Amino acid sequence: MSMRSFFTRSSRSSRLGGLASLCALLVLCSVNACNVPASDNRVVVDAPDQATFAPVSTLLELRCGSLDCHGQSSRNLRLYGSKGLRLSQVGDAGRPSSEPDLTTDAERNENYLSVVGLEPELMSQVVREGASNPLRLTLLRKPLGTENHKGGTLFTEGDDQMICVTSWLAAQADADACKRAKDSHR
Amino acid sequence: MRHHNAILGILMGLAGALALSCDPVHDNGVDALGPETPGVPKGPRHRPGQPCIVCHDGSFGSPPHFTVAGTIYLNIGDLTPANGATVTLKSADGNGATASTNEAGNFYLSPQQFTPVYPMKVTVDYTGRKQAVMGGHVGRDGSCAECHTDPAGPASAGHVFVPVDGKTP
Repeated sequence: MSMRSFFTRSSRSSRLGGLASLCALLVLCSVNACNVPASDNRVVVDAPDQATFAPVSTLLELRCGSLDCHGQSSRNLRLYGSKGLRLSQVGDAGRPSSEPDLTTDAERNENYLSVVGLEPELMSQVVREGASNPLRLTLLRKPLGTENHKGGTLFTEGDDQMICVTSWLAAQADADACKRAKDSHR
Repeated sequence: MRHHNAILGILMGLAGALALSCDPVHDNGVDALGPETPGVPKGPRHRPGQPCIVCHDGSFGSPPHFTVAGTIYLNIGDLTPANGATVTLKSADGNGATASTNEAGNFYLSPQQFTPVYPMKVTVDYTGRKQAVMGGHVGRDGSCAECHTDPAGPASAGHVFVPVDGKTP
């Protein structure tokens, strides 16, 4: 075999090899593209009760939802509220201009999703355990100051704020504690 | 040997200072404020309505450190400064401070004057108008304009003004 034919064959076989690799990659990609999780294979969150969330939302709006804290749209645990970030303009659908100073149901719903979606697996665990160990949640460790929190320490163990949130997590929502907590921070 | 240690110390200090001054997030924040207004020198009257503590943050090489600073305007619809307004701050630990606005509407407090524990409540008094009481509280940022930006909208109450009815937006 001459040197020339050797190189010609060699470059031809390398081209074929490259083509084969490309085909294999395409097949792999298409197999992966079709390999979506089954619709029944999703994580289901055992979320706390949304119907009793309103007083908790009010407390969180007041304590955590100022515009320079969790009322900032770029921050996690985004919280909407009448004294902070609004979901819509006054006069828009769902926010009547007759009551511009009230938090809307849509805003409360967003707050619920923020709280539940912050650590969904841990939230499920806490709810399943009846909130026997609520400090699994960053939601509580941060305001308690047991985890670094730029907003500082806002809650103390056993205060009305803690009772408000943990009772809700335990499906025994204590609206009175929420109200006392809210009133003490007016 | 002693000279070598001294030189090493100086070099390490310089390296540390350089590292501290290289904060792209901070630099971007400062750049976003834009240039000085022509004719207004750097000082107490400059950059009204901007978030003061972006620059006055006490970091290495920054201008004088402020803990709380901002601009108060007279009206909701224009940018007439409220000269001589009294801003009263109440810290979560019970301490408080007051500051007066200058002819640009600016006020500022140094750490020696006041270092708030958040959340902090704010009221503004201006002769001839009712006391303005901030509806919410300041949670962590001492720059009024961090939140009070124009135009007012879902994420901002707009610039701080002294309303006739005594209630801030």
